Amino acid sequence: MPMLTDLARDPMTIRHNVLQGEFEVSRDPHLVLTTVLGSCIACCLFDPVAKVGGMNHFLLASPPNGMNGLGDDARRYGLYAMELLVNEMIKQGAVRATMRAHLYGGANLHSGMRAIGTENARFAEGFLKADGIQLVRSDTGGVQARRLDLQPATGRVRCRSVQGDFPSTQAARVPVPSGDVELF
Amino acid sequence: MTKPILTVDDSLSMRMLLRAALSDDGHAVAEAEDGMAALEWLGANEPSLVITDINMPGLDGLGLIAELRADARYRDIPILVLTTESAPEKKEQARAAGATGWILKPFDPIKLNSAVRRVIH
Repeated sequence: MPMLTDLARDPMTIRHNVLQGEFEVSRDPHLVLTTVLGSCIACCLFDPVAKVGGMNHFLLASPPNGMNGLGDDARRYGLYAMELLVNEMIKQGAVRATMRAHLYGGANLHSGMRAIGTENARFAEGFLKADGIQLVRSDTGGVQARRLDLQPATGRVRCRSVQGDFPSTQAARVPVPSGDVELF
Repeated sequence: MTKPILTVDDSLSMRMLLRAALSDDGHAVAEAEDGMAALEWLGANEPSLVITDINMPGLDGLGLIAELRADARYRDIPILVLTTESAPEKKEQARAAGATGWILKPFDPIKLNSAVRRVIH
């Protein structure tokens, strides 16, 4: 995927901020998905055959109490965030064999603390490998936050380091129905 | 010997998670990565239950349910749908096709195993 460059100056461009716990899949050529990442990970997927792409943004690889701790926060965790993104890509015509993945984020912003960013990146790489999705670019780790833009219709990506203090990011406030069971 | 539960999901990670949850409750588990692989397995094996995703390449979950309900050998096997789909029309399609129940991902292992115990005869 080539780097994203001039879309920011295009008056037709619509920018959508992908908050922590959100995901978006689209083939709209005017849409640019954007997010800011510290230790969080964003996975960008693009299928050059189906010409559809998407991005998610998750906080942690897994909840502290295992899957029992998911509940309404489920989208903030890696497995569910990846499942949602991949499923939506498939719904919109993509297939795993032709999907290409980029991973961004996973910085370890605070020295001396657990390397959450590294754990997040490791989880995402493992998920992609297990699910047979080719990882073509990984810009993870380090100590600086990143600002990320993706044009989902073309798969073009731009990732820049954020200098100075990490800007605060918002978590999505969409309640997630989790594990609801209905027997017919 | 108890019959295994067949889980059908194109995500290996999700199948691993399901296997762990179901094994914790004492179930044997078999896996298929899509509807076609499930039909192949079912040609030679008999499960106590099928748990299937909806969105899969090739033969998807709704197609798999339709295939199973059209065959007298599989008509009485309970089928739970486990999916990220929250659209009511999808749920209705699954019900009409012959699904036994509907579980939204991310699943809660306790709720999942409770539903499994209720539908396995």
